[in-house]
Amino acid sequence: MMVAIFAALLLALAAAWLGRQTIAIACLIVCLALSIGLFLFEIYSPDYGFRMPWIQTQLDGVAPASRAPRA
Amino acid sequence: MTAATPRMLAWMNYGYLLLMMLVIAAILTTAMVLQYGWGELPCPLCLLQRVALFGVCFGIIQTFRLGDSGRNSGLSLLFAIFLLVVSMRQSLLDIYPRPGHAYIGSAVFGIHMPVWCVLIALALLIAYSLKLALLDGRDARAIPLAEFPALSHAAKAAGACVIVLCAINLVSVVVQCGFDACHTSGYRLLQAVQ
Repeated sequence: MMVAIFAALLLALAAAWLGRQTIAIACLIVCLALSIGLFLFEIYSPDYGFRMPWIQTQLDGVAPASRAPRA
Repeated sequence: MTAATPRMLAWMNYGYLLLMMLVIAAILTTAMVLQYGWGELPCPLCLLQRVALFGVCFGIIQTFRLGDSGRNSGLSLLFAIFLLVVSMRQSLLDIYPRPGHAYIGSAVFGIHMPVWCVLIALALLIAYSLKLALLDGRDARAIPLAEFPALSHAAKAAGACVIVLCAINLVSVVVQCGFDACHTSGYRLLQAVQ
């Protein structure tokens, strides 16, 4: 996958440099789509999904009333 | 306003973009030096951050070739945002020390690579905002880069330099990952040869 991303990117850059706009844009869109797909694949965990439970976002041992936002 | 103002604005705009591309090329060169000089293998998200930096360069090369336009700036901004998203997620991934999750590579000035990439992405977004706010003008946009021969030659050379860097990265990715998923355990093709 990563090889395909860099190959599409190289083609896009070379086409842009040579003034082949249509090919350049097409290759760049392929590169971006593959990059987003790979990014989502890399950050997905079978256990957590896309969540990050190691980042504490809740207050432990604090009464619910005191957690209410101060208006 | 004098008649020379749009021309000067165009010159400053192209010069500014050239400077941005040279800075990105320097960052990408540093990444390659760290990889091969210091033996620090890039992780998949690190490689995606390089892709994002090359993507920003794409918009700049398009501007040099076809003239300044909202589309080219938009493409560069899109990749700058992609860089911010990827680097932010990687920073959050490794922010809490736990088994199997530590920052990849050594720290530079006490800051690790994903955090540097967050700062670089923010710098690129600010730089583009300033360009659009201060150097954008309808009359200046109509002036092609070819009007400035010295700047045009420098832009072509810088563009070629970025393309060569991308080609080196492609070969490097083939050696590291083969045609499969990337890992930071070693260079897959070299291991296969040994």
